[in-house]
Amino acid sequence: MSATGFSSSTFGGSAARVDASAERGQRRARESEREHAHEQQVGTERRSADYSVELRGVRKQYGARTVLADLDLSIERGSFVSIVGRSGCGKSTLLRLVAGLETPTAGTLDKRGEGRASNGSGNRASSSVSNATRFDTRIMFQDARLLPWKSVLHNVMLGLGRGARDDARAVLAEVGLIERANDWPAQLSGGQRQRVALARALVHRPQLLLLDEPLGALDALTRIEMHALIERLWREHRFTALLVTHDVQEAVALADRILLIEEGRIALDLPVPLARPRERASAASRALRIVCCARCSSASLTTMRDRTQLTNSNANLRKARKSSHSRRQPKYRSHGFDRLRSVLSRRAAEPPSDRANTSMSTSSARAIAQRLHHFAFAALAGG
Amino acid sequence: MSTTVAVAANRRNFIASYGARVAPWLVPLAILIAWELAAKSGVLSTRVLPEPLAVVKAAWSLIRSGEMWADVKVSTWRAMSGFALGGGIGFALGLATGLFRPAEIALDSTVQMIRNIPALAMIPLVILWFGIEEEAKVFLVALGVFFPIYVNTFHGIRSVDANLIEMARSYGVKGFALYRDVILPGALPSILVGVRFAFGLMWVTLIVAETISSQSGIGYMTMNAREFLQTDVVVVGILLYAALGKLADLLAKGLERVSLRWHPAYQRGTKA
Repeated sequence: MSATGFSSSTFGGSAARVDASAERGQRRARESEREHAHEQQVGTERRSADYSVELRGVRKQYGARTVLADLDLSIERGSFVSIVGRSGCGKSTLLRLVAGLETPTAGTLDKRGEGRASNGSGNRASSSVSNATRFDTRIMFQDARLLPWKSVLHNVMLGLGRGARDDARAVLAEVGLIERANDWPAQLSGGQRQRVALARALVHRPQLLLLDEPLGALDALTRIEMHALIERLWREHRFTALLVTHDVQEAVALADRILLIEEGRIALDLPVPLARPRERASAASRALRIVCCARCSSASLTTMRDRTQLTNSNANLRKARKSSHSRRQPKYRSHGFDRLRSVLSRRAAEPPSDRANTSMSTSSARAIAQRLHHFAFAALAGG
Repeated sequence: MSTTVAVAANRRNFIASYGARVAPWLVPLAILIAWELAAKSGVLSTRVLPEPLAVVKAAWSLIRSGEMWADVKVSTWRAMSGFALGGGIGFALGLATGLFRPAEIALDSTVQMIRNIPALAMIPLVILWFGIEEEAKVFLVALGVFFPIYVNTFHGIRSVDANLIEMARSYGVKGFALYRDVILPGALPSILVGVRFAFGLMWVTLIVAETISSQSGIGYMTMNAREFLQTDVVVVGILLYAALGKLADLLAKGLERVSLRWHPAYQRGTKA
């Protein structure tokens, strides 16, 4: 994989914009900015035309319960970002905030349309729903939410006039369902319904597509098919994608960047420096998956030591990414790897309450996480 | 050898399918025959129940004299106008209370209170208000029909999937289009259940209203026949009500089948 090949795939196929090395530099600068986001004054404008979504100090409370706590997050235009985390960690709430279906309790949420002068500066997210339509944000839900009393074609045309018929047919053809255009949604399978929902979102030509566990209810084979479809359409339509999922494998397969949310905070912000199309069996993708899983399985590791460790691991990953630019991803498989996987799956099988309570399991989780990190970086670096 | 087996199997299939179609009619047929025999032998007095043949004859003479047609027309008109009036108001109010909180707060508990009064308990008052003119019957039918339509419209609108409404809103559907494309179709199954209930109540109310006080209609025909001990005409009237009720039910079913084509319960043909 050449350097340019890597960067164009990572940054959403927008190769025509900036040259690769400059963009990498920018990105590195932004990452360090992100790490010091708390120290920054929330009020200052950070002008950067590259962001599609920017959250500053966003907090969401339901009564006394804080779902999201002072979140700072910038999502680059044209990128594919995955948000992973346990159910109830606030990942769906974050997506609904971005979609404008909920309003934040505090903080600002900016969404910037491309080439739209009026949307250049910070826009408070208080007028949420109109925001969502103005910025061409479309959301795809876990259930397809098709109107059962409208044909597939008319579902895709929802919210558009009669003139959209040709567009709708074209998008249906893109998702491979043109021959089912006149069927009722009840006559489709679960995967087909999600494809219709995807077509319905894409026919609006959104600049930002939000995916709220859209494949959660599908079987494994259909899900793999959908991954390829979503990735292809993302590359062709060049929208910014924000995917919420509980499936780490899915996140690694699709995203440029993975955010792990824990107790309303971003616990891990991991770039995914893998070339596309991705081989899900490749050692690097497996390693990344394991880094995420290890972090997920050690829920109580929120000490400072752990945080520094993670920062270090991010730095390591960056290093690893640099070295992997010029090299093919190595096929890698070993006994040690399999052993670690079995340890990990055993840990995952334990009930979470045990995991949180006993200090012994915490320390062993930490040990596993450490070993896995080490292992993952070794694999990434081509070892 | 094998062909004879096949033929035998075919025949068995034919008998089975034919039998399935005929079997439900065997019991009514037996009752009819028993009835006829009992009436012929004198066990069953004509003052209690006329023989079936006499009923058929009476029906035929009523059709030929044109009396039946006139009465059916009057009764149907009453039923329909009462249904349109009560159903229309019920639908409009159900829509209002279902869609707007203030309307619900203002109206719903009042309607629920009145709902517990049987429409037929109002007959003495209705006679005092309207006499025994057409208005009395139309009013009673409207009152009977109002509640099932109101309750089911209200319930239907309230039980529309909130996720679908949220989705439609986030896709820029709002105002009238939201009602037309999302809320009303979502409420339709429930509204149609209300319509079917209302059709049933419509005939019951009308029969009682016509039997108590009227100068035309099927109820009048039967009450008149009672005075002259024409049990055969009375039975014809009862059968007419049954037929009209069945017709209304078929109509409601047809309405459901046409407007709920999308519903899995009404779909024939291949599933994906």
